Amino acid sequence: MRKIERRAFVCLVLAGLLLLGLTFFAGEFLIKGGSWASSAFNRHLYNNDGVLTSGTVLDRDGDVLSSVDEDGNRTYYQNETVRKATLHAVGDLQGNIGTGVLNAFADKLTGYDLVNGAFSAHQGNTMYLTIDARYNYEAYQALNGHAGTVAVYNYKTGEILCMVSAPSYDPLNVPTDILDNDRYKGAYLNRFLSSTFTPGSVFKTVTAAAAIEKLKDYDTRTWTCEGSVKIGDDTIICSGTHGEETFAQALANSCNVAFAEMAVELGADTLASYTDKAGLTNSYSVSGLPTAKGTFNFDGITDDQLGWAGVGQFHDAVNPCALMVYMGAIGNGGSAAVPKLILKTRDNLGLPASLNLTHHTRRLISAKTADVLSELMANNVIATYGTDRFPNMDICAKSGTAEVGSDQRPHAWFAGFLRGDDAPYAFVALVENGGGGASVAGTVAGRVLNVIVNGY
Amino acid sequence: MTMAQSALDAITAVLAAHPLGGMWFSAVVRFLFPALAVLILARAIRGLLKIPHTPETWGQLSLPNGAPIPLTHWENIIGRNKTADVLLTYPSISRQHAALCRGEAGDWTLYDLGSRGGTKLNGEAVVSSAPVKMGDTITMGGVPLIFLPQTVGEREDLERRRKAERPAAIWPSFLWLTLFQVLACLQLIVAEGTEVSAALPLTFLGLTAVMWIYYAVLRATKCVGFEMETIAFFLSTLSLSITASSAPQSLPKQFIAVVLGLGLFLLLGLSLRDLSRVQKLRWFSAAAAIGLLGITLVLGSRVFGAKNWIILGPLSFQPSELAKICYIFAGSATLERLFRRRNLTLFIVLTGVCIGCLGLMSDFGTAAVFFVTFLVIAYLRSGDFATLGLICGAAVFGAGIIVKFKPYILSRFATWGHAWQNASVGAAYQQTRTMSAAASGGLVGMGAGNGWLHRVPAGDTDLVFGMLCEEWGLVIAVLAVVSIVTLAVFAVRACRVGRSSFYIIAACAAGSLLVFQTCLNVFGSVDILPLTGVTLPFVSNGGSAMMSAWGLLAFLKATDTRENASFAIRRGPGRKLTEEARRRTEPVRDDEFRREEDRHEEN
Repeated sequence: MRKIERRAFVCLVLAGLLLLGLTFFAGEFLIKGGSWASSAFNRHLYNNDGVLTSGTVLDRDGDVLSSVDEDGNRTYYQNETVRKATLHAVGDLQGNIGTGVLNAFADKLTGYDLVNGAFSAHQGNTMYLTIDARYNYEAYQALNGHAGTVAVYNYKTGEILCMVSAPSYDPLNVPTDILDNDRYKGAYLNRFLSSTFTPGSVFKTVTAAAAIEKLKDYDTRTWTCEGSVKIGDDTIICSGTHGEETFAQALANSCNVAFAEMAVELGADTLASYTDKAGLTNSYSVSGLPTAKGTFNFDGITDDQLGWAGVGQFHDAVNPCALMVYMGAIGNGGSAAVPKLILKTRDNLGLPASLNLTHHTRRLISAKTADVLSELMANNVIATYGTDRFPNMDICAKSGTAEVGSDQRPHAWFAGFLRGDDAPYAFVALVENGGGGASVAGTVAGRVLNVIVNGY
Repeated sequence: MTMAQSALDAITAVLAAHPLGGMWFSAVVRFLFPALAVLILARAIRGLLKIPHTPETWGQLSLPNGAPIPLTHWENIIGRNKTADVLLTYPSISRQHAALCRGEAGDWTLYDLGSRGGTKLNGEAVVSSAPVKMGDTITMGGVPLIFLPQTVGEREDLERRRKAERPAAIWPSFLWLTLFQVLACLQLIVAEGTEVSAALPLTFLGLTAVMWIYYAVLRATKCVGFEMETIAFFLSTLSLSITASSAPQSLPKQFIAVVLGLGLFLLLGLSLRDLSRVQKLRWFSAAAAIGLLGITLVLGSRVFGAKNWIILGPLSFQPSELAKICYIFAGSATLERLFRRRNLTLFIVLTGVCIGCLGLMSDFGTAAVFFVTFLVIAYLRSGDFATLGLICGAAVFGAGIIVKFKPYILSRFATWGHAWQNASVGAAYQQTRTMSAAASGGLVGMGAGNGWLHRVPAGDTDLVFGMLCEEWGLVIAVLAVVSIVTLAVFAVRACRVGRSSFYIIAACAAGSLLVFQTCLNVFGSVDILPLTGVTLPFVSNGGSAMMSAWGLLAFLKATDTRENASFAIRRGPGRKLTEEARRRTEPVRDDEFRREEDRHEEN
């Protein structure tokens, strides 16, 4: 008997495996339960058409962006342009826009919780987003039908005040040709969170940070621009002929020649490490939504390629959100709050239904370098872009005009931040194939900032 | 029936007029159910895990120095090895020297297990085996042992100790379970609304009645224990409510399956009492296992990809479920038989035929269950890792060949581990629905009858774990699985006090089968394993599966050697030993003695 008893441990092994697997499942259940439940086929949270049956989405000052009427149909904001401007934040009815809160936060919106499951899901929660419908409206209008993205966030609290992605469409009136018409190409994508683009000259803020720390005499040296320079086998072409210029002038002129020479002098490894440090290859979690990682290629490249990479061309691709966070970090002395989209969630009794903590990034740039770079970026506005376009703002910025192929107009970029405790905002504006960065994207950014800061 | 229906319609009409009442009822009872489940199961689980207890004793061997060694089994191995039941640490005794086995009639046989020092009975060498009587001297490797019955004092002391370990009364669990059944029935009536048929309250009432009748009848025969039955009745209650939610028209069928299962449990348990009869039945059950699977192969119909159903008019059943019981019956063996026939050839042939049939039916889930049960039985019988390793290797090789010729089998596993990326394809479709529905239940469930997973194909059978989570909550789903684990742990711990190796091999095999089948069902439904389509014992909607689970429970019941704890164990032999011991010490009566003396004087 004892002999068989000893052999019977195989039964205990089986029993142990069952318990182990059950523990694993329970763990997964606790961690992933919310997202398992948030599947469009879950009839406890969605109706037969896959539309979320409860939950109200509001903007930061209480304008209802989406709710459910008495018949159980999902409603949106009355104004069509606001619907388009907030589509990527709110989400559509078909579940095509994965980053919209209706799809990504179905559990939080319906009041799903681990103990009760979906039992009280028909009552629904109230979710306040950090965005303001008005700012989104202005930004969408400013893009004026172009593809692109505009975002503004508070780099101290992380709250995203404005987040627009275009092209967009009316969720209550989905265009029938949405899949065929080039106008709607990539309309399901939230470009701010999920896309990467060639940065062009806005990347010079990274090259500049490396130069400030690695080139000892950067502030006394001068560079000479003759419109182009031959590096290796290629010629780096500049937007103008800038002559002899200081570091500050080179940045304000956005001089490709000076920055390509700097990039070669710094070397690929240095530039790669500063790109990583700036967080441009990171993925951030925006209230749980992951951002796309930027991609760069510094491995085994030739000097001319390095020159182009140093001015934000070559294989550089940056995510608008990551760039905005880097701007926030420069403005905030080295690190910034991670952006968030959910301001607060309330259950039907008005009690808080989720934690929305503010997280901070690691140090993206040293405090000293951030100060120096801030001054230089403020000088960009004074010297090149014009301060009168940004009234009542202590603004620091960098424009970019990213070449994306000889047959297309370049992407226009404008990114930066405001200084001071009253308006601690970082921003990014991208107009795809928009043309000149400062003129086109700068105007878009100016218009949105004007509404936020000055109210008009 | 019509009266019941009209009464029920009146109740549901009132409920429909006051929907808030039903809502509040659901909102409150959903928190009560997990608490009740804990109250019901805690007692049963604790009781089963308390094993081993003071063992039964059947005689003793007295050492040269006078110290007695009790014989606590019907089959005792004597030797120097640590795993010997009678441990004798004399250098002249072999590691596994001899065995002393008790027959059904109380007759004992001594076997020499090829010892080096030899075994003698009353001075005569034992060649292979010899019958032994109380008082005989057994000499092993020169060490003399006297085979003696226990004295009255020892018997009474033993009985006192065993009585003191009497299992805790189980009626509180039965009471809680009754409350659970009543509330579950009401919750289902609330959830189904005016559609509900009178069959629902009647089947629940029937289950409660059957449960208490079973309890009353067995209590009348002085039975105690009932832990396993508590677990089985609890899981059967869940099964009824799952059926009520998914296929209300099948409720009477599922209830009858529980009653038939209970009948099978009793019948099998009673027939397991007699070890010599069991021995004769083994051949029959081997034939039955092959017969059941063979018939299915010839007459079977295909449902959900596997051709494992026999459909006769309105009746449909899965013979492979009952074949599991026959297979374990045929595979288990007494120690005596293990001495006589050391190799596993016949058993391997039986296994090969069974798994072959299942493979031809494309019922790979059940085939895997048979294979794991085979491995457990074979290892318990032989302890031979090497051979089993070879068999496993051969099985993997065989599976490889099958996959080479029938590559479509592999497509069933294609989405394994990536269910969410393939949420609309085949098994992943079912698995993602299971996970989503399960998560919707949270810890306490949406309430019985309030789920949607039953609309997914096989929702109440292969995916029933998801339905448990959805309607009853994670707590009850986990408790259900834990109680099945408890059965297996009980089987292992009962080895120490088992009567015959037949019973403990059968119990361990049945426990392992239940556990492995639970693994396949639970993990298959949530994409931890590929979905193989086996049922969750006792819980899934399905008559054959329900009966098979109850039948397997009989094997476990037959190892419960606590005093009066099991109807599947004969109480007579122990009582007889005490009576005999008492008779031996009774003083011969005076008058008889005198008469005898007188007679002597007359002569």
